[in-house]
Amino acid sequence: MGKLLEITNLKTYFRTREGWVHAVDGVSFSIDQGEKLGIVGESGCGKSVTALSIMRLIPHPPGETLDGSILFGEQDLLEISESAMRKIRGKQIGMIFQDPLTSLNPVLTIGYQITEVLKLHMGLDTQQAKRRAIELLREVGIPEAERRINSYPHQFSGGMRQRVMIAIALACRPQLIIADEPTTALDVTVQAQILELINSISSEYNSAVMLITHDLGVVAGMTDRVVVMYAGHVIEMAPTDELFANPRHPYTLGLLASIPRLDIGRQEELTPIEGAPPDLLHPPQGCPFMPRCIFATNQCKAPPPLRAVGNNHVAACWYDVNQPAEQQRAATRREARAHHLAMLDATAQAILASSQDSRAAPDSDESAASSSDGPATVTKAGED
Amino acid sequence: MSTSSQVMPPSLPEEENIDELLTLTPQLARKRRSQFRIIVDRFTRNRLAVAGFFVLALMGLAALLAPLLYHATATYDPSTYINLRESPAFQVPSWQHLLGTDDVGRDEMARILYGGRVSLLIGLSSMFMAIFVGVTIGALAGYFGGIVDNLLMRVTDIILAIPLYLLLFVLSASFSNGSIFSVVLLIALFGWTYTARLVRSEFLALKEREFVMAARTLGASNLRLMVRHILPNAAGPIIVSATLLVGANIITESILSFFGFGIQVPLASWGTMVSDAKDYFLTHPILALSPGICILLVVLSFNLMGDGLRDALDPYLTER
Repeated sequence: MGKLLEITNLKTYFRTREGWVHAVDGVSFSIDQGEKLGIVGESGCGKSVTALSIMRLIPHPPGETLDGSILFGEQDLLEISESAMRKIRGKQIGMIFQDPLTSLNPVLTIGYQITEVLKLHMGLDTQQAKRRAIELLREVGIPEAERRINSYPHQFSGGMRQRVMIAIALACRPQLIIADEPTTALDVTVQAQILELINSISSEYNSAVMLITHDLGVVAGMTDRVVVMYAGHVIEMAPTDELFANPRHPYTLGLLASIPRLDIGRQEELTPIEGAPPDLLHPPQGCPFMPRCIFATNQCKAPPPLRAVGNNHVAACWYDVNQPAEQQRAATRREARAHHLAMLDATAQAILASSQDSRAAPDSDESAASSSDGPATVTKAGED
Repeated sequence: MSTSSQVMPPSLPEEENIDELLTLTPQLARKRRSQFRIIVDRFTRNRLAVAGFFVLALMGLAALLAPLLYHATATYDPSTYINLRESPAFQVPSWQHLLGTDDVGRDEMARILYGGRVSLLIGLSSMFMAIFVGVTIGALAGYFGGIVDNLLMRVTDIILAIPLYLLLFVLSASFSNGSIFSVVLLIALFGWTYTARLVRSEFLALKEREFVMAARTLGASNLRLMVRHILPNAAGPIIVSATLLVGANIITESILSFFGFGIQVPLASWGTMVSDAKDYFLTHPILALSPGICILLVVLSFNLMGDGLRDALDPYLTER
C-alpha cells in the first residue's frame, strides 16, 4: 500500500489582535491508501484545523497555513490552484461533519444535495444523478429512498441525516474521507451504527478514512492507527492496539486513565488530567504538556522530538514512561502533589473558619458571598 | 481502486424511468404536505393577507383586462381616453360614466383602469429592478466581506444620505422624458438600498453556517455557494421586502407624478390623476378620491400581503 496523503511540518496559525495563535504547529503524519487513521485529542488541540488545512478551507483571514506540505498522491495541496483544489474537494477527498443537523442545507431537498456533487464531479445528467442518488441512499440504509429523495432535511432524524451526509461525502468514491467527529452529535445507540456504516462503506470503496474524535472508544473500535495530538503537536503515533497496550506519552497515559470504567467501583473517582491545555497564543518553549505532566523535569524545557519507541510507534517524550523507575518517580511525585494540595486545603479551611468567626456577619447574604469567594482568595494566601 | 469496480452496489434497472418508479411506490400515495403547501397553509391562515391578495388580484385583473372591460361601458380613444361619443366635462357618475368625467370630459373610470396599468407596471418593474440590484450588491458585500463590503456599503450609505425626493425631482426634470421606462429606472435607482442592506445581513449570517462549509468541501465555487446554497435561504426576507417595495414604489411614482415629474400626458397614472384633480377637489372630490383610494388600496394590500408572507416564510416558526 502506497502513501495516499503525507503531511509534513504543517503550520496553521490564526492571527488575532494579540498575536498569532499556533493552532497547528509543525504536524507531520501520513495516511496509506485504504488505511483508517484516528486522530485524538481534546478540544482545541488542532484536530479540526488540521483537517480543514488539508481541504484548504481555513477561513482566511484570520487563519493561514504558513508552512509545510500536504502531498496528496503526486501534488502538494498547498501549492495547487484554487480551481484544481475544487476538483479534489468532494471528488477525491470527502468530508463528514460533526453536526448533521446543521451541515445539510435546510431549504434544499436531500436529492438536490446529493445529485449536485454527482453532477459537479462525475458529469452525470439529471436522470443518471438521480438514479445514483437513490442507490447511494439505499446503500447508507435509508428506507424508501425513492420517496425520501424529495424530502427536506428537517423531515429526517439526526442519525438519518448523518447517513445522508455520508452518502454525499462518498458519492464520488473519494480516496480519502475526513470524518470530523462524525458521531459526537448523535445518540449513543446511533453512534455505533454510523461508525459501522463509515467503516463498511469505506472498506467497500477502498477509501482511506481520517477519523477525528475525542472519544478513545471510537478510535479503538475502528482505526488501524492512531495519532494523538496535543496543543497543535503530534505527541504520539502508533498502531491502535499498540497505543492502548503500551502508551508512551504521559498525555496518552492520562487520556487512557481518564476513561470511565464499568469494572471498577462506582465510588471510585475518575482520574482527570490536572490543569488545562496551554495558551496557544504563547505556546510553551519546551514540551507543551510539561505544565500538566507528573513526569516533567528540567529537561522538558527543551522540546522533545518525536522519537521511535517501538515498532511503528513514535512518541514525543524524553522519558520512557513505561519503565518501572519512571513510574515510581511519577507515583512519588503524585503523592507529593496530593499531599501539598491537602495541606493547602487545610490551610484554606482554617483561614476561612477564622475569617467567618471574626466577621460574625448577621447578614446571611454577605456570609454566603464571602464563603463562596473565600477559597479562591485564601488559596492565593496559602501559596504565599 | 481496482477492487472497487467489483463491488458496485445493486443498480436500478436501466429501463425503468425514475419518475415512474416514484409514483408506483405505494407509500408515495401517503399524503405529505410539500414545503410549498405548508407555506400556503400558513399564509391562508392570515385573513388580512388573503384579503390583500384578493384585492391585488382583482385590481391586477381589471387593469390587465381594461380594454375588454371598458368596451362595455363606453367608447374611448385609447391614446387620450377621451370619450368620443360625448365629452362634456364634470359629469356626475352614471351608467354611462361609472365615475363621471373629468375637467376635459375624459371618462374617469377608463383613466382609473388605464392609469392602474401604468401604476402597477411601474411599481412591479421598478421593484424587480431594485431587487435585482439590491440582491446582487448585498450578496457580494455580505459574502466577500472586507474591502468589497466596505466599498459597496459606503456607496449604499451615501445614497441613503441623499434627500431622495429632491434628487428625484432634479434628475427627472433633467433626464426623464416622462416615459414609463425612465420613471421605472429613476425609482429603482434609489429603491435598492434597503434590499441591499437586508440581503447583506442575511448573507453575513448564512455564510458562517455549517452547511455552507459542507458545500465548500464538496467543491462548490463561490458563485454556486452564493446562488444555489445561500440565496434560497434568504428567499423569505427578499420576497417580503419585494412585496413592501412595490407599495413604496407606487407611492414614489404618485409623488413624482403629483409634482409633475413622473408620467407625462397623454399617459395617465393614479398619481397624475390626483394631481390633475387637485384644483377641483372641493367641487368634484370624486375625481381626486377615486385614484387616491386606488393607491391606498393597492399599497395597503401589498403591505398586508408582505406581512402575511413574512410569517408564512419564516423558517423558524414551528407552527405548521
